[in-house]
Amino acid sequence: MIESFLSSWPLFHNTYLAGWLIGLLLSLVGVLVVARDQIFLGAAVSQASTLGIALAMWIGGWAATDTLPWLRSDGFLSTMAVVFSMLAALMTGPGGDTGRESHEARTGWVFLASASLSILIVSHSPHGLEEIHRLLASSIIGATVADVWAFGALAGLTALATWAAHRRILLFAMDPEMAAAVGMRTARWAAFMSAWLGLAVGLSIRTSGMLYTFGCLVLPALVAKNLCREVRPMFLVAPVVAVGTGAVGFVLANHYDFPPAQMTVALLSLLLTVAWLVPRMRRGAR
Amino acid sequence: MERNDAVLKATGLVLAYGRRIILEDVNLEVRSGQFYFFLGPNGSGKTTLLRAILGVLRPRTGALWLHPDLARLERIGFVPQRCDLNPALPTTVQEFVLLGLVGTRASRKEETGRLEWALARVGLEGMAGRDYWSVSGGQRQRALVARALVRQPSLLILDEPTNGLDLSTEDTFLRLLADLNRKEHLTLLFVTHYLAIAARYATHLAIFHSGRVEVGPRQEMLTRDALERVYGVGVEVSTDPSGLVGVRVCPAGGDQ
Repeated sequence: MIESFLSSWPLFHNTYLAGWLIGLLLSLVGVLVVARDQIFLGAAVSQASTLGIALAMWIGGWAATDTLPWLRSDGFLSTMAVVFSMLAALMTGPGGDTGRESHEARTGWVFLASASLSILIVSHSPHGLEEIHRLLASSIIGATVADVWAFGALAGLTALATWAAHRRILLFAMDPEMAAAVGMRTARWAAFMSAWLGLAVGLSIRTSGMLYTFGCLVLPALVAKNLCREVRPMFLVAPVVAVGTGAVGFVLANHYDFPPAQMTVALLSLLLTVAWLVPRMRRGAR
Repeated sequence: MERNDAVLKATGLVLAYGRRIILEDVNLEVRSGQFYFFLGPNGSGKTTLLRAILGVLRPRTGALWLHPDLARLERIGFVPQRCDLNPALPTTVQEFVLLGLVGTRASRKEETGRLEWALARVGLEGMAGRDYWSVSGGQRQRALVARALVRQPSLLILDEPTNGLDLSTEDTFLRLLADLNRKEHLTLLFVTHYLAIAARYATHLAIFHSGRVEVGPRQEMLTRDALERVYGVGVEVSTDPSGLVGVRVCPAGGDQ
């Protein structure tokens, strides 16, 4: 099994590396999402990113290739994915409640509007529809060396920031009122966190699709939450879970000829079930 | 900071949210070692003034001076009205209390020392490793105070910290604060709308009503005239031989 995986390395090493780095990046960001109880926000931001890609494809279809070739490039698709996910994260983050609408209501609106519009916009374009279905279903095959570098840099920066400011991040995530009282500018922190979440999700969606992105965002953090007694070690356990499960998932997918993203997310879901059951079984045995 | 030094001074302070003015012409001086109570009906601006002291709300006009030791908030401890911690989040008493160190500079060894000191002061020694959600409501309230104390503050600000506590826990909690005030010479700002608590523990009072604040020593402030003006009901104020002040609401139209 391992040999077969290693033999596929020369062909798929960018896919494997990008997949693991996406897992590392999103699992770190996901600890914050889970700590702030914003799991649905992760789904809405992922969906908004898909809308950005659909819109980029629609604009690309209209644009004259000779005068504005960039509008049909991968760069434009990625930019639109990131911009839309950042906007969604900023719109739906708590603290910016306007009028009578809670951030949960806005999150629901973003999710539903993005899910319906992304299909409607490309519904008359067979290629566009296929691309949106591919994004929703998730496929990480085809990641490039640029993806590997981009996710490596983002994951490295996120890990460094988490290590350097872990206590501030924890206080902001756990008790924003206290964070404001000790001098943290919580509105700026919230905006920065939302923008970072949007950036990470937007780039990941483009490379790995919605299922893998959303799965890596919330499942490793939820597994860590069930395994850890404190929030701080979750920042270590979640990435280990994401990358470890990614490694096992890719090996199994390669051996049994399954799609790697679905295999990894299925394994993470299984791991979460075990993480839920084990403490309950221990308590039951006592 | 020496005992009786001015800790904070507010002069002609006006506080507002947008166009809505909450407090006008606030003049207040808190000195080191005082147990200052902010007293008044709900919505009278007590928490608003706290937010200004903590630097969260910028005064519309007027001056708010903090002792230089407090200017960077490092020596101010804050116990919020409630702590909206996500109950599904795993945490221990130790992790929760150490969050109070944000914005302070301390080595790992100093952090451990401060944690042990703060837990001992609130009677939670030996509970650092306990699951935060497995301890009682009263112990969680003490952990909130420990989180503020771990900063080794000169000024401890408490925003209605006894809300939701049962009588016995409330009494223990208030005795703990009085003890900290007496033994550690800690200056306390305590926000409440419970007159009985203020009457028992305050050295000084700031009474909030109609967008104004009246301040002074407890004996001067807990008078029939002042309280009737603020609360709009008849009250009877008495002092027993030990100096304990008692306040009773008189039934409308009655003598008592």
